[in-house]
Amino acid sequence: MSQQQTKNCITLRGSAQIICEYLKFAINSVLFQRGLYPPETFKAEQQYGITLLLSEDPLIKSFLTNLLTQSEEWIVNKKVTKLSLIILNVANKEVLECWDFNVQYEDGDIELSKEKKETVGSKDLKKIQQEIRDVMLQVAATISYLPFLDCRCSFDVLIHAKTDCDIPEKWAEAEPVAIANAQNVQLKTFSTSLHKMETVVSYKLSD
Amino acid sequence: MAKESDMSLFNDVLEPFRRVINTDPPKDKLSASSKLNFSDSNQSIKEGLSNLFSIGKRKSSLGDGSTPEKRLRTESTSNAPHSPWKTKRLKIDLIAAKAQITKLEARVNHQHTIRKEMQILFEEEKASLVEQHKRDERALADMEDRLQVIRRREQELREEFNEAIKEQKDAKANWDKEKNELFKQIAELKEKLLESNVSSKDQLSEMKKDMDELLQALEGAQTEVEILKKEVAKQTARAEQCITLKNQLEKQTFELQQVTSKLKEIEYERDSYKDWQQQAKTAQKRLSNMAELEKEVVRLRATERSLRDAVCNKLLLEEQVHQLNSRLEVLQPVQQELHEAKVKVASLEASLEEWKTAARNHGVENARALSSALETALTSQLTATATSSQAQSQLAQLTEEMTTVKYERDKATTKLNDLQTVRKNQESLIHRLQKRLLLVSRERDSYRQQLDCYEKELTVTLCGESGAGSAALLSARVEQLERALQGYRDLLATHDHQANTKQVETLRAEVTKWRDEAEALRRDVQKLRTQRDTLQAHMERLDTAPKTKVIHLTDNPAAAAHKQVQQDLETAQEEIKRLKAALREGGSRDISEETQKLRQQLESRDVKLKRMKEEFTSSAQEYRDVCYMLLGYKIDRTGHKNYRISNMYAESADEYLTFTLCDDGIEMVHTEYSASLDELVELHLHQHRSIPVFLSALTLDLFTRTTMQHEIQEC
Repeated sequence: MSQQQTKNCITLRGSAQIICEYLKFAINSVLFQRGLYPPETFKAEQQYGITLLLSEDPLIKSFLTNLLTQSEEWIVNKKVTKLSLIILNVANKEVLECWDFNVQYEDGDIELSKEKKETVGSKDLKKIQQEIRDVMLQVAATISYLPFLDCRCSFDVLIHAKTDCDIPEKWAEAEPVAIANAQNVQLKTFSTSLHKMETVVSYKLSD
Repeated sequence: MAKESDMSLFNDVLEPFRRVINTDPPKDKLSASSKLNFSDSNQSIKEGLSNLFSIGKRKSSLGDGSTPEKRLRTESTSNAPHSPWKTKRLKIDLIAAKAQITKLEARVNHQHTIRKEMQILFEEEKASLVEQHKRDERALADMEDRLQVIRRREQELREEFNEAIKEQKDAKANWDKEKNELFKQIAELKEKLLESNVSSKDQLSEMKKDMDELLQALEGAQTEVEILKKEVAKQTARAEQCITLKNQLEKQTFELQQVTSKLKEIEYERDSYKDWQQQAKTAQKRLSNMAELEKEVVRLRATERSLRDAVCNKLLLEEQVHQLNSRLEVLQPVQQELHEAKVKVASLEASLEEWKTAARNHGVENARALSSALETALTSQLTATATSSQAQSQLAQLTEEMTTVKYERDKATTKLNDLQTVRKNQESLIHRLQKRLLLVSRERDSYRQQLDCYEKELTVTLCGESGAGSAALLSARVEQLERALQGYRDLLATHDHQANTKQVETLRAEVTKWRDEAEALRRDVQKLRTQRDTLQAHMERLDTAPKTKVIHLTDNPAAAAHKQVQQDLETAQEEIKRLKAALREGGSRDISEETQKLRQQLESRDVKLKRMKEEFTSSAQEYRDVCYMLLGYKIDRTGHKNYRISNMYAESADEYLTFTLCDDGIEMVHTEYSASLDELVELHLHQHRSIPVFLSALTLDLFTRTTMQHEIQEC
């Protein structure tokens, strides 16, 4: 029993890494599915038991690494409540679509945490990955009902952090976005027993 | 036997111990007694007594220590009384004896234990000795077995030894035989050696003889060689003669060739002479036809004159044509203008027709009528505009009035509101008055009751004591009260009851209406509140804004894309501006001018190119000619890296050489002509390995030949 427990032990840092890995794949998947960048710039990779596509564009890659390393730090320190991937029309800066990734903090395995003297979870990694896979499949399925983006679009990621959070270099405060006449679709949630990730996509309802 | 002896020995050893063991138990008691006796001897006086004690002691028990003392006491008391000293002595002796007894007993016990230990020891030793004895016996048996084995071995070895000795003897005999044989062989070999020495000496002598013979033959051969050398010299001399003869022959053949060539030339001259003769005959025939020819000449001259006139006419005509052409060129634009004018006229006529039709439609036939109609129309328009301006001014006035009216209406509404408020105040006043009225009526009732009471009292008092003063007082009071009552009644009358009630009813109806309205409004408010709450909840759910702040990376893809788009837009706009400006300036003319310029340039370039080509071809030809004149060879390029060379002095066009350009230089290709130049090829190409030398040698050779031919011809 003791061996199994040590196997299934997930630290706060590890959980944050799992969350950020999910974010990386989810954002790349959305960029591919919504056709923001040409499909030949994406490369297939096997993850969570399914084939996912990652962008090869150096600019996107560097943007995501910058974003996710900082986000991981914030998630570990419980500063972030939500990450929003917004897709906007380049010409008039109108927000067409918003992917909200709500982060909730959980206690994990309290007994094991006392034993280890740090907050840890005891959820099986395979189970977590299974849950993430379900979410990713749902993300891929959204293309069937999301409206067609017929203009030149780009994306940005907004981080909803707590007010006491410091703003590091290269970061700036942004305006919160709102979509007029929006339709919300909640996707499946998954949990690492330390963090709970809730994915919601809201899009402009076509007239 | 050994066992028995061992056992006897063992018994001897054990014997003394056995004796001791056997004698021990009886001795124990005896020793005790003897020792007692022995101790008693020291105290000879109390022998009898001690014996008595000892007997008594034995009777009771040896182990019991306490009983003898008691007995002693009893005995001491029972016996005849002795002197105190004696008794003391006896007691002392007794105690001493007792001590001795205990000592001796302890010793006896000790001895017993020693004996037992000894016995155990001896038994153990015996057992060990028996075991050892057994072991020894076994060892002895083993040793005997081994001895037997060794004896057998010894026997075997002896036999082997005997066999070996026999073998050795045999071998010795064999070796002796072999030795003898070998000695014999040695003797034979020595004999053979002697024989061979003799034979070799014979051979040597024979060889020497052969040598002598060979030397003699060599001398003979040398002499022969000298003779042959002389002959060779003779032969060389003859060969020289032959060569000179050959040269002479060659010269003769060359001369013969020259002679034959001359002969050919002479024959050719003869043929030409024959031709000349034929030509002379034909000439004579032609001379006979001379007269006819002269006539013809005259005719031809006339025709020539006529042709010259025609030529003059032609020139005139050409001048005329030229003039006409120039005129035509001048007239062509005029004609074009005419055409255009015609087209314009047609269009104008069409438009005029249209105008006319339009005029007819309006019932006007003449131009004047049209102008009058136009004037009327203009005047009507003017009047219309005047009326419209008036209407507009009226409209402005009306709007002003409307605004004033509106203002008044607003005022009125405000007044109405004021009045309504006043009415409300009055209503409240009425309400209060009603309440007051109620109070007043109650007061009145109460006063009445009081009055009644007073009257009763008065009647009572009047009946009881008929005081005149008090009665006067009371009546005055009553009057007063009645007056007050009347006042109250008047006051009541002023407030018209019925009107009041009516008003109140209307007011109540209004109140109910207002209440209904208020309730409806409350419902609305409730609805709106719930709506607001839901909306607030929605807002909160949408963005947890108050507790969070939104952060993003400054260099995000959206910003980059936006910047890019703006840049693109700016560049596009600039380009548009530029293009528009170009259009305004009239870029089409520029283009045609540019094309003309370019065409001119192209033509000039073409001309230049042609000139260059001509220059190049002429210079190339010149270069080739110079090369031919200077070096005597004409070089033609027949293909890729292939060159044909033909000499200036070559006898025919077939005499040419071909060379190809290789990586390491130039190589000569085999041709029919080169096959005929074997000597030169061998000498210059194969030995000197130089093509220029070969070529110059060839020119020299050819030159000498041609010059010789000429000389011969000249001769």
